Amino acid sequence: MPVLAVQDVWKRFRIPHEKRSTVLDHIAGALSVLEGKRYAYEEFWALKQVSFGLEEGESVGIIGANGSGKSTLLKLVAGVMKPELGTIKTRGAIAPVLELGIGFHGDLTVKENAMVYGVLMGLHRSEMKKKTETILDFAGLTRFQDAKLKTLSSGMAVRLAFSIAIETKADIFLIDEALAVGDIEFQEKCLDKFRELKKEKRTIVLVSHSMGLIREFCEKTLYLLNGQVRAFGPSESAVSQYLEDLTTVA
Amino acid sequence: MAILTLVFSYLSRVSIPNYASWLLIALLIWRFFQVGTSQGLSCIVGNPSLVTKVYVPRYLIVLSNNLANFIGSSLEFLVLLPLLVWWGVGLTVYALILPFLLILEFLLVFALSLSLSALNLKYRDINQVWEIALQLGFFLSPIVYSASIIPARFQLYYSLNPVTRLMEAGREIFLDKRLPTPFDAGVILSSIILFLALGLLIFGRLEKRFAEEL
Repeated sequence: MPVLAVQDVWKRFRIPHEKRSTVLDHIAGALSVLEGKRYAYEEFWALKQVSFGLEEGESVGIIGANGSGKSTLLKLVAGVMKPELGTIKTRGAIAPVLELGIGFHGDLTVKENAMVYGVLMGLHRSEMKKKTETILDFAGLTRFQDAKLKTLSSGMAVRLAFSIAIETKADIFLIDEALAVGDIEFQEKCLDKFRELKKEKRTIVLVSHSMGLIREFCEKTLYLLNGQVRAFGPSESAVSQYLEDLTTVA
Repeated sequence: MAILTLVFSYLSRVSIPNYASWLLIALLIWRFFQVGTSQGLSCIVGNPSLVTKVYVPRYLIVLSNNLANFIGSSLEFLVLLPLLVWWGVGLTVYALILPFLLILEFLLVFALSLSLSALNLKYRDINQVWEIALQLGFFLSPIVYSASIIPARFQLYYSLNPVTRLMEAGREIFLDKRLPTPFDAGVILSSIILFLALGLLIFGRLEKRFAEEL
């Protein structure tokens, strides 16, 4: 059974042509419908019939131009949004690293924030208690564990969030450009952690513009073009197709 | 709150016995309702990253917000208890009903917060609408005046307000030292069921598009 199976997924957004975000706007809008005007919006299909699957231990890179649907796809896999059509099946726990530091609160201590974030990432409180030490150690924040989060630098806060997310030991990691965090030393540590995850046969879904990272960590690559799958297969061929398309367009 | 108590108990010189405690009981119940629903209303819009960046069952965001207010209001009532003794009202075994009243009010607040927080994504000015509704509600509930001054022909409609019933029930257990009436319980319970069903319906329907609307 595949770890991740995305089957014929369609996702639609609405592009409104009039602003309707208040009760007042809606009353005014309803009146204009009486005059024969329609509520104007355009449909925009962000994803069109996207299908792909991953077996255990496989990782996938998602590439494509801005607005091609990469982040939308990631959000659908995370369960944050629902597709209009199609199914997404996942096996095991998912750690969405779409944004780091969700639910962080400046007035809580570093330790307390770690707790909250861990629980949001789907860990149990008791598990989290056991892991806090390892996490703080990896983030290099053991000394600051009882300091208020707002007294830390933003880089340190992001490091904390990243360490927790990695430590969740989920089966599927959804990572959206989150690698550009921390200083070079910490980035190296993160890459090491990724190699470890790969060895443990965990699945990484990585959205990135860095072809180097994709080539190193992902066996397969999904290349999206205007919401459609342009290529899906071994990273080498999908990436070269992408680069080729870039040169022909330019 | 102290100011309201002072103003109304000294200036109005109403003929209600134990006016200070009488007022405070209703006022605390009102505060829980007012603060609970208005914070519940903005909790989804106010926490966009909890909705768009990670999957948490969304009703938990509302629930945790309401629970925080529930704890706050319980503490306020905890302060009221010694005051009642100090003011010579005294406490009886009926005071033990208070936790149940608070839990019922919590359920009512949760039910309304579900609808309001979901609607707030579509209608961003609903907090202003709700604020006005709350202003009206303050004067449509027997907080600073007694329900008996309402003309007889409006009594029925007036008394069907669940928040009014909570206030009257609070006064019954502390001041009249008796059980809340079956009418109180009936109105409160049926409105909780009604609003909870409505809230779950609205929340469930709009929840799918939360991440897009934020």
